[in-house]
Amino acid sequence: MRTSHSSQSLICWVIKMIYEGDFLKDAISNLLARGYKVFAPVKLGDFHLFREVKSAEEADFGYILPRNSAKIAVFPENEVLIKYSSWIDEIPFEETRIAIVGIKACDAKAIKLLDEHFLEGFVDPYYKSRREKLLTVAITCEEPGINCFCQSFGINPRKPEADVVFSRIGGKTFVNAYSDAGKDFLSEFNLRNEGEEEARLRQNFERETLEMRKIEIDVEKLKKSFESSYWKEVAVNCKSCGVCTYLCPTCFCFDIYDEGEKKGVRIRAWDSCQFPLHTLESSSHNPRAEKWQRLRNRFYDKFYYALRKGDYYCVGCGRCIDFCPAGIDIVSVISGVR
Amino acid sequence: MNEVEKIREELKKSGAERIVAFVKKENEPREVLAVLSQKDIDKVTFSPLSVNNPAKLLMQLNGKVAVVAKGCDAMAIRQLIKEGKLKRENLFIVGISCRGVIDYRKLSKIEKLSEIREVRLEGEEVVLKMRNGEKRIPFAEVIEENCLYCEHPTPVIYDVLIGEAREGRKDFSDLEKLEKMSREERWEYWISQFERCIRCHACRSVCPLCYCEECIVDPSNLAISPMSTAEDKASYPRLLGKTVNAKDNAIYHIIRVLHHAGRCSGCGECERACPMELPLRKLERKLEKVVKEVFGYDLNEDIPFFSKLDMLGD
Repeated sequence: MRTSHSSQSLICWVIKMIYEGDFLKDAISNLLARGYKVFAPVKLGDFHLFREVKSAEEADFGYILPRNSAKIAVFPENEVLIKYSSWIDEIPFEETRIAIVGIKACDAKAIKLLDEHFLEGFVDPYYKSRREKLLTVAITCEEPGINCFCQSFGINPRKPEADVVFSRIGGKTFVNAYSDAGKDFLSEFNLRNEGEEEARLRQNFERETLEMRKIEIDVEKLKKSFESSYWKEVAVNCKSCGVCTYLCPTCFCFDIYDEGEKKGVRIRAWDSCQFPLHTLESSSHNPRAEKWQRLRNRFYDKFYYALRKGDYYCVGCGRCIDFCPAGIDIVSVISGVR
Repeated sequence: MNEVEKIREELKKSGAERIVAFVKKENEPREVLAVLSQKDIDKVTFSPLSVNNPAKLLMQLNGKVAVVAKGCDAMAIRQLIKEGKLKRENLFIVGISCRGVIDYRKLSKIEKLSEIREVRLEGEEVVLKMRNGEKRIPFAEVIEENCLYCEHPTPVIYDVLIGEAREGRKDFSDLEKLEKMSREERWEYWISQFERCIRCHACRSVCPLCYCEECIVDPSNLAISPMSTAEDKASYPRLLGKTVNAKDNAIYHIIRVLHHAGRCSGCGECERACPMELPLRKLERKLEKVVKEVFGYDLNEDIPFFSKLDMLGD
């Protein structure tokens, strides 16, 4: 298994600086002024959602995780692939530069995983057109949520793999750049180099391990348990809804269909392996007709099939645990495979 | 004997091979539903965080089943019996006279869930057993809004009742705010809500009354070719696309809710399941009111609402 440690440590010119002011809001204003499409967390009632924002005021950063994942910036719920009438009229591509402000380490890692899926081998041009223009401004985690387990995948919630990383440590704003794009972006701001004491503070912050859940993955056991009755037991209360997959930052399944007979649009929309129609074939055969087969598929997809690409397709954000209406818990399920 | 001990005792006495009851979820203070056998009876627990409705789970089980049911759960079970989906003689219902459940999301805003070990009700207070010591908060602060206007806190159907029977509320005052809005304001309100929907269909999937094998809102994408007959096409109508936008979402929710006319048990699973926190119960409540006031139908009648409409003709 390939380790998921980033290439961050290989870059020696990483810039580490201090900002006086409200960096995240200033970053949004700056990006908007330069014509970026900015995705940031918006507070709705008691929770946060990643959404496109039109001003810095709309964003709010008081969260552990926004409820939806940041993947919407590169893989939107719906997108038009083709506009057609008697022939193809237009193939729309994303022209605008895109930024995600407020992404956390788990979602940032998830985008790297989506890259493997959409850009390695067959290249998805729609995804690529967004991804190429993407700038990520991440926030480090101060504390984990109840169902966070990102550290199980070698993710450091205090050191997200993003272009720019923002941390609030001891009342000070630390801003680091980990890529050329990030470095260019930071050149827009008035920053000063961090002092020796500050560097120590930041390093200690980054090195601290957070107390969180841990998932035990035994691939050999998974390999042998495909036919186990375990999956039926786990699935007994599953409702076959799409919460787990739609909130998941690494799930990438979609469906394509046409809207309009003589004139219309070809649309790509999210789909979920938990829906019975997902695998229904036109012969009316359904290889995963039972809900336990669909549930099993989700776990095998993330922890076994995906290994072909070298990584588990889970980043430990815990959204599927928090919001599963039946209380199905990926950490317990995978750790308890038999 | 406390409530949990009484529940275990009754489940044991039922002699049922299978038991549908609440067990503690790993790593969190809430309970989840499980299908158990008699030997697991010590795992059974119950608290104001035993929020889910077991009715849907019952439909996939055969033979004698003992089930723990709160007031709203019993409403759903009775409805499913009325609709021929469950058999009364197969069920042993341990009814719980319910004081309401805790809104987990509200609780998580007040206390760090990872610190809470156990939750119980004592008078008007919720007692939280914390990692370090105990804390008390007023129940009113964390009660699920849906429970405030519950009409049937005492199960309408049971084999044994735990707790004293209690009265429910029979008014629709919770709808006043929406009803006072102008048509335009109301439209705007709902569109602003539906806009958030991601169409995960959790509201439908958790609903004990949404048991249709084929749902009208599912876009069946079977290939339609020039060879397809009119009949083929007609049998796979695509009423709604998969596109997520406020208006398509509104159609989805309105269609879904209309199928619950005179049926909704009021358990609130739809609202709890919604990761986007849409106020779905308000739609169901309005429908409930219309069914009652316009059609004069009472949920306690033996005949299902739609059958009654058929009988009445136009």
